[in-house]
Amino acid sequence: MKGVLLSGGTGSRLRPITHTGPKQLVPVANKPVLEYAIEDLKEAGITEIGVILGNKGREEIQELLGDGSKYEVDITYIVQGNPLGLAHAAGCAQDFVGDDDFVMYLGDNILKSGVTELVESFEAGDYGAGIALQEVENPQAFGIADVDDQGNVTELIEKPDEPPTNLALIGMYVFSPAVFDAIDDLEPSWRGELEITDAIQALLEDDYEIDSHVVTGWWKDTGKPEDILEANRLVLEDTELNTAGVVEDGAETNGRIGLADSAVIKDGAVVRGPVSIAENTTVKSGTYIGPYTSIGANSTLEGIHIENSVVIGDSEITANGRIVDSLLGRKANVESAENHLPEGRRLVVGENSQLKL
Amino acid sequence: MRIITHTCPACGTIVAANELEDNRVMKCPGLDCQEVLHFEDLPENAREHFLENRDRYQI
Repeated sequence: MKGVLLSGGTGSRLRPITHTGPKQLVPVANKPVLEYAIEDLKEAGITEIGVILGNKGREEIQELLGDGSKYEVDITYIVQGNPLGLAHAAGCAQDFVGDDDFVMYLGDNILKSGVTELVESFEAGDYGAGIALQEVENPQAFGIADVDDQGNVTELIEKPDEPPTNLALIGMYVFSPAVFDAIDDLEPSWRGELEITDAIQALLEDDYEIDSHVVTGWWKDTGKPEDILEANRLVLEDTELNTAGVVEDGAETNGRIGLADSAVIKDGAVVRGPVSIAENTTVKSGTYIGPYTSIGANSTLEGIHIENSVVIGDSEITANGRIVDSLLGRKANVESAENHLPEGRRLVVGENSQLKL
Repeated sequence: MRIITHTCPACGTIVAANELEDNRVMKCPGLDCQEVLHFEDLPENAREHFLENRDRYQI
């Protein structure tokens, strides 16, 4: 079994954060989203991973993952270039996959339960493909699978008016090499892409059995800022957090706090977990960091009240105010406007930024 | 749709034909790889197929 990890896309819904990097490298609980996928694949016993690169962030992704040795996996890079669809991405991986089965994992997704059960379910039978499903409350808004009593998929329907089930496709798949013949026969859809659901439908029509696995834990597509915050909350709730750094006397801490060994919570600061604070970050007196917040590396916080937020890193946040439900990009600084005249907020805001003042 | 790729002989990075054709001559996108890749590295029948169906490989 091999892994194919999709790391393309423009990240347009995450702008301005993705103006300067790929969406798969946005951190959740101070770890790039893509690393969760690598760990999930490895946990499922998959150590040969093909990473599909699009037009954006190729160098950054290769710099992070390298040859995979730091994760104890072997990585091959596959440059898809134009975003011609998930089935095109899978097709680009054919030489890498060879005659093996493979998991296809969307690199901007995070699953609580990983992919081990999906793989085991697929390997327990003789399937052309396996798909991960999750129960949703509004199936009309998703690609929906109909399944029989054995859990075999009988039909895929895109955004049905009258959904036969509430089981939505969540973008995790296992394929046999038979999918490559199906992809060869595909035509681009109305949007000019080779659709993976069309490839699965073709396997069904060729009488391959398609396994389904219903994911019961949480699953997040981290495509939008609010999704990053939600994923950060979910991961901080579930992750073991170690306080390796310095908590000075006079600092007040409650709950679970992940504190890197070079990070410091100073006298007079208050931190209430779950919180993650990365390397070389200093939380100074008068600062309050509230639950579900991740502060990236090389940052300084002083006097600010911040909660349910993600600070990616290299930031100076020294205003005397409250920041909630926010995503701050790398090297974003927030300073006080006190003592500046005329009174008012002073902003240098990039394209696609969103401010609620 | 036939999907055509080429594997860099130096670092093993796999490159889709649409990427090669866009650039014709390109430095391998593998990090720190100095290999130069050409659209002409593809087999002749693959090149012909790609060029005959070029529109389908564009978005």
